[in-house]
Amino acid sequence: MAGYGEILSSIIDYMYSFISQYPALYALILGIVGALILSAIVNVGAMAVVWLERKVLGDIGARFGPNRVGGRWGIIQLGADAIKLFTKEDSIPEGADRQVYVWAPIVASMATMLVAAAIPFGALYIEGQEYPLVVANMDISAFYVEAALSLLAIGAFMAGYSSNNKYSMLGAFRGIARMISYEVPMGICVIAVAIMAQSLNLVEIVQSQTLWYAFAQPLGFIIFTIAIITDLGRIPFDQSEAEEEIIAGYTTEYGGIRWGLLYFQEYDMMLLGSILMVLLFLGGWSGPIIPLPLLSVVTPLIWFVIKIIIVLVFLIWVRGSLLRFRIDQVTDLGWKWMLPLSIVNLAWAVLVGPYLLAYFA
Amino acid sequence: MTTANEVLSAMQTAFPGAILESRIESERRLWAIIDYTQIVEVCKFMHDKLNFDHYSGCAGVDWVTKNEMEVVEFLASHGTHQVVAFLKVKTQRDNPSVKSLTGLYWNANWYERETWEMYGINFENHPELFPLLLPDELVGSWPWRKDFKGYPDVTTGQRAVERLNPSGHTEYIFSPTPAEIEAQTIIQERPKYPTFKEREESELKSDSEMIMHMGPQHAIVPGPFLLDVLVEGERVKKAFLDVGYIHKGIEKIMENRTWLQGITYTDRLCYLASLSNNECYCGVVERLLGITPPERAQYIRVILEELSRIQSHLLGTGEFLTLLGSATYSPFLYMIIDREDILALIESVTGARITHTFVRFGGVRNDLPEGFIDKCRSVLKKVESRTNEYIALFDQDPIYHLRMDNVGIITTEDAKLMGVAGPPLRASGVPYDMRKEDPILVYPDLDFKVISRTKGDASARIEVRLDEILESLRIIEQCLDRIPAGPIRTEEKIPKKVPAGEAYYRVEDPRGEMGIYAISDGTDKPYRVKVRGPVYAYFQALPPLLEGVYIADVVAIAGSMDACTAEVDR
Repeated sequence: MAGYGEILSSIIDYMYSFISQYPALYALILGIVGALILSAIVNVGAMAVVWLERKVLGDIGARFGPNRVGGRWGIIQLGADAIKLFTKEDSIPEGADRQVYVWAPIVASMATMLVAAAIPFGALYIEGQEYPLVVANMDISAFYVEAALSLLAIGAFMAGYSSNNKYSMLGAFRGIARMISYEVPMGICVIAVAIMAQSLNLVEIVQSQTLWYAFAQPLGFIIFTIAIITDLGRIPFDQSEAEEEIIAGYTTEYGGIRWGLLYFQEYDMMLLGSILMVLLFLGGWSGPIIPLPLLSVVTPLIWFVIKIIIVLVFLIWVRGSLLRFRIDQVTDLGWKWMLPLSIVNLAWAVLVGPYLLAYFA
Repeated sequence: MTTANEVLSAMQTAFPGAILESRIESERRLWAIIDYTQIVEVCKFMHDKLNFDHYSGCAGVDWVTKNEMEVVEFLASHGTHQVVAFLKVKTQRDNPSVKSLTGLYWNANWYERETWEMYGINFENHPELFPLLLPDELVGSWPWRKDFKGYPDVTTGQRAVERLNPSGHTEYIFSPTPAEIEAQTIIQERPKYPTFKEREESELKSDSEMIMHMGPQHAIVPGPFLLDVLVEGERVKKAFLDVGYIHKGIEKIMENRTWLQGITYTDRLCYLASLSNNECYCGVVERLLGITPPERAQYIRVILEELSRIQSHLLGTGEFLTLLGSATYSPFLYMIIDREDILALIESVTGARITHTFVRFGGVRNDLPEGFIDKCRSVLKKVESRTNEYIALFDQDPIYHLRMDNVGIITTEDAKLMGVAGPPLRASGVPYDMRKEDPILVYPDLDFKVISRTKGDASARIEVRLDEILESLRIIEQCLDRIPAGPIRTEEKIPKKVPAGEAYYRVEDPRGEMGIYAISDGTDKPYRVKVRGPVYAYFQALPPLLEGVYIADVVAIAGSMDACTAEVDR
């Protein structure tokens, strides 16, 4: 087992020589491979999230969840659902704005992929060194992710507006109202984290968490959690698709795989949102390294996945046990409570943060 | 306590000439024929001076052999006294017309509209005499009149003609068929009135307003009904309610079935309250026959009716909460599990889960099975602890309070005026419960409280329902302790032909005051059966409640009423 490090380093050496010979080709290949791996990871991850949600939500509601397709655990239920969605008739409503209607799910999916591009999906620990797994390691990735997140609402609004349906329209309006009132406190929370980490780079933010920011700024953590649930549009903040009020909100007129894309995009976002929460507040992939030869390489990954699953289960638990807010209560909460409190948190990060970090460093 | 005698003498003193005929059935029942011209004054006197503040409904009766029509007004009081007065107004058969009571009793509106569309009895000074249950095509043929020949053969499939209307949508037209023309049931002249669509569109004032449909297929509707809300942004400006999508004409069907066959139709009035509805129908026939069921049968009826109240309240509460959360809101699923236990108990006695047809004239169909009492006790214990858990859970949930408190408030005065029934009425501070007001069976012997709240909002309604579950559990426990051995049916022979007469019987349905008014003409079939349902009563209070609320609150208000469309439409 001693040789694996050498093999790895020889591969890395070869790659460095390749880069120096053909830099443009390398960038292209890296981009394509990165995008493919990224979408595979995000979508497979989202499938796992859907499965997890169905099972856990089933358990919360004293039900079984999927238990037929794919054996007792209903593993390939989602595959069956996907086949169903793909083979469904593709119908576009008569009065719809066709171009916008068709592009809306694609824009929404693109937004999720844009978010995913800058998010590190864990790290590998090789010979005392952490190698973060991230496609685009930007200096301002936290800021970029924030910006890309707001694009989601554009996709939803396009879907709602183009459907030419009253329910869709109301859903789109609600989505925008909610987005505006929660992106601001969420952004301020990210800024507070960045101030403590003294960096906007998500990798550096993770590496700087000697004390998890969930403990260093508990208020910010709570606000960010609520804001991320709002951004995901999950109960108690799913006003934009409240089925008991406005049928299915902005997705009312969508069917087949177009609806599937919109639906799947939400679970992509749920995964990315919980990753973001883990990265910013729960120490990312940091955790004690298991002192076993092969296992030590993936240890950060294991910690990362465990934390993500805990966050996901929390989100599902919230969905199973809470009622939905009214839209005016959502904006009230956003502007009258979350925004002032997030500014308080920012002040905390600026004034107390350095001492806290110095104490725990 | 006021008795029927005192009411009658007070009326006779005030209006010497107005009371043409009168009959006192018991302390609580007064029947009188009132002069056509003075009905409004008499009712006003009764409302103001004799505390008859509860308009309980009205029934049209077509006396085809006497060539006259009759409208029977049911008047009662919200707990001040227990007298129910039945005031009849007679009118001739061609161009029948009586005076409307809508000026006096707000909730007379729907009852009079229904009588108008079914019998063609015109109500003078009625503000909006539009059809309620019938589709526009059928208005004008007055289908519940005794000489109505019926629509021609529906089995030929020629009745509904499919065609495209000018805007390109499919329309179904009820055209006169040859058989119809031969039977001369084609409507010669339809009454003129604005249709539902015209009425709601006339309210649209600006471009920023739109009419949003909630129903007939929508997540909030427990059965098909149309709730159109005129919204501006998120605010509801006005609501329009259209019912009649599953109008089956049960009252008319019952006129064509024997008395016994009628029991099955009462099951279908509302599947959550079929035992109470059975009880109500059998009770009215027992009054006509003059028999009382043996004591054991009475206890069995009470036990089952209270069990069905519990399961109805569990489903009503749980379903309502899923409207505020989503179908995955877990307390709902736990309530379904509890309800399943109750249903299993009921099924072990009646053999059916929702349509029981269990109560019989003078008794019940079969006895309690062996071991029922022990099983019942263990289920009751479980349901009691779970219900307490729900109460505690809802009490500490902040989002629950944000959504439910001060939403859809019905004040005490409004509740009385609008004729709201059942838990919504009691949540508004009127402890009005038929089990106390008009006691039947063994209820007078049992010790129980009438649950009421004063706030009158959505959370108060849920509190009342959950507390009523606990109260029902107490009633059942007492019954289980006291139930005697003995026959389950009366010894008397039940004749096929019920003696001529009329009777009214009220029970406390899970949703409120359920009354059935039956007239027998001495044959084996009812002459007229009128069902006065609680949901019908509080459904018409819904549109005014929805004015000015948020769209999300429409769901909270409509859901907290616990509707049952099957019973509204009958």
